[in-house]
Amino acid sequence: MSHDVEECVMDAMRAPVAIGSERYNAILTFLYNEGSLLDNLKLSEWAETLATDLLYNVPIRHTRSTRDSAKSIVRSCQHMHDDYRSMMGRIMRLAGNSAWAEDPPSRVRRFITNVLVYETDKADEFLVVSNMLVTRNRFDDDHYDLISGVRTDILRADEASFKLARREIIIDQAVLGTPNLGIFL
Amino acid sequence: MSKNRNELSDGTNIADLVKLDTREVQMRTLEDRELYALEQERLFGKTWLMLGHESEIPNANDFMVRYMGDDSVLVTRTKDGEVHVNLNVCPHRGMKISTTEAGNAPVHTCIYHGWAFRPNGDFLGSPIEKECMHGKIMGKDELGLKKARVELYGGLVFATWDIEGPSFDEFLGDAKWYYDLMFCRSDAGMEVAGPPQRFIVRANWKTAGEQSAADGFHTLMLHRWLGEVGNYKKEGAGSDLAEEMYGAEVSSPHGHALRCIDLARKIRRLTGKEPSELSTEEKLRILPPPGMTAETVGQLKNNLTDDQMEVLAWMPPQVGGMFPNIIFAFIYIPQPDGTVIGSMALHTYVPKGPDKLEFMNWVLVEKDTPPELKEKMLKQTIQLLGTSGMVEQDDSDTWPHMTMSAKGAQGAKSTMKYQAIYETSKPEGWPGPGIVNEGFTKDDTQWHWWLYWLELMTAEK
Repeated sequence: MSHDVEECVMDAMRAPVAIGSERYNAILTFLYNEGSLLDNLKLSEWAETLATDLLYNVPIRHTRSTRDSAKSIVRSCQHMHDDYRSMMGRIMRLAGNSAWAEDPPSRVRRFITNVLVYETDKADEFLVVSNMLVTRNRFDDDHYDLISGVRTDILRADEASFKLARREIIIDQAVLGTPNLGIFL
Repeated sequence: MSKNRNELSDGTNIADLVKLDTREVQMRTLEDRELYALEQERLFGKTWLMLGHESEIPNANDFMVRYMGDDSVLVTRTKDGEVHVNLNVCPHRGMKISTTEAGNAPVHTCIYHGWAFRPNGDFLGSPIEKECMHGKIMGKDELGLKKARVELYGGLVFATWDIEGPSFDEFLGDAKWYYDLMFCRSDAGMEVAGPPQRFIVRANWKTAGEQSAADGFHTLMLHRWLGEVGNYKKEGAGSDLAEEMYGAEVSSPHGHALRCIDLARKIRRLTGKEPSELSTEEKLRILPPPGMTAETVGQLKNNLTDDQMEVLAWMPPQVGGMFPNIIFAFIYIPQPDGTVIGSMALHTYVPKGPDKLEFMNWVLVEKDTPPELKEKMLKQTIQLLGTSGMVEQDDSDTWPHMTMSAKGAQGAKSTMKYQAIYETSKPEGWPGPGIVNEGFTKDDTQWHWWLYWLELMTAEK
């Protein structure tokens, strides 16, 4: 999947979807709605926005020298390595009675910015690159866990809106500062 | 100067934190800064520590940076194939030698003043040779990086600062017989599926450490979802998670622990036959150890004794730990289609101060696991264990609360209790060595973990 996305980025860079265009706005609306569903724990509604061939990955980051910087993104072992079926499993777990890592739930806010959209070689699929900042707070903590990164998505247009077909989140930490990824990014 | 090296500054003796007669441990152990500092010397400065797997540094001059307690170390492979572990601290002014996490370097040059070291830690020289920047008081042979003692076991890299201390085999003791069933069973051996996941948990390392000593009970409650909606959900209503608590538990006077879980139910489900009707070889072909297949189980007899194979086919070690801060999971996970796919993971809980730990998670496969099965194992393991693991998310959210509890004046005086005691012994016909008890999980293994902690913390120098 990862290579698909990389190649896709290279191809797509030639065909940006203009900021402010109707298509761009529709995609931005999808991302904002998605963030709102996740912030508000409407996970079954979020599940409806996932394509059944979804691939969802969070690579590991490595601190490497500038010369080796290509190796700073590790896609062998990852933090998340999921597909539609496993994401549904995660959602089912969270809907159960004993998902303690998110019960009581974290207070989470997703900030999605710097959104760039590109056409792909498939007419109904768009490559969407965005910056992400997630603030997460639990219990009486006075600190926030901050999760920042870049998301590379493939959104597939359907009649009403879009479905998320691919998502890769490259996090900016080699050692994550949050105790688990019990939340979706 | 303290008269008694086991006396804390408020006059408490370390030995009094563990109540031998009632099997209790004071919560203070989970928070105390003085104890933390002593642990760095008496535990992390003494025992064998796991730093990774040699398959992470396959080529000459490959290196990776890891931690032994609070100390950063360079793990390198030299041209002759040997693995070395050296303190990642320049003997000149104390700068870190490597500021990256991994790479390949025939020479490690400190970026501060340019002192240079070979991958084996030997001092190569300082810049401008003729000016002799390192002076004449000490010879080059005295200016190398501080070397740790290294042992490779099943490809896992272990190191200790206790150069003259017990050998690695002595450290494992009787428990080695059981670890061999996991790490030394195949011809080609294991490899990592990639570098480790790393994340911070705001908890004392011992909250995770004591749990790793085969805490069976917590599975029933903390990981209850497994039986409610997860892989152990029963057809119809209810959970059969409690059934998974039966087997045998191996304890060790060195704090190692293994939960050997009976495969009988899985074998019955897969074959419709009683395990007693099947030979050891048949059982291993029907339900191969994680990462092995019906085609590769034939290798087991090259590497294990008949007794070891019998245990591997009957009650293999599936979860447990190695003192002080390692947990392993070599688990057989039931799939919705009735088959079983294994997962193999190792974690270390690296101390980062009294109330912080770094969770490192390596996913393992057999080198000759077929690629398609490797991919399935990798995905399943990441989905269940580690950063986003649906099982271990709940652990990483629990340990910080225990650590917080220990900060209260009353909480610190409270105790953790290990009072569920085995009244059985080895299963009938059990061929393995060590302290072994049969039946539903108990607290003995974790209690033995604390006893070894106490032994090391109060040992004479």
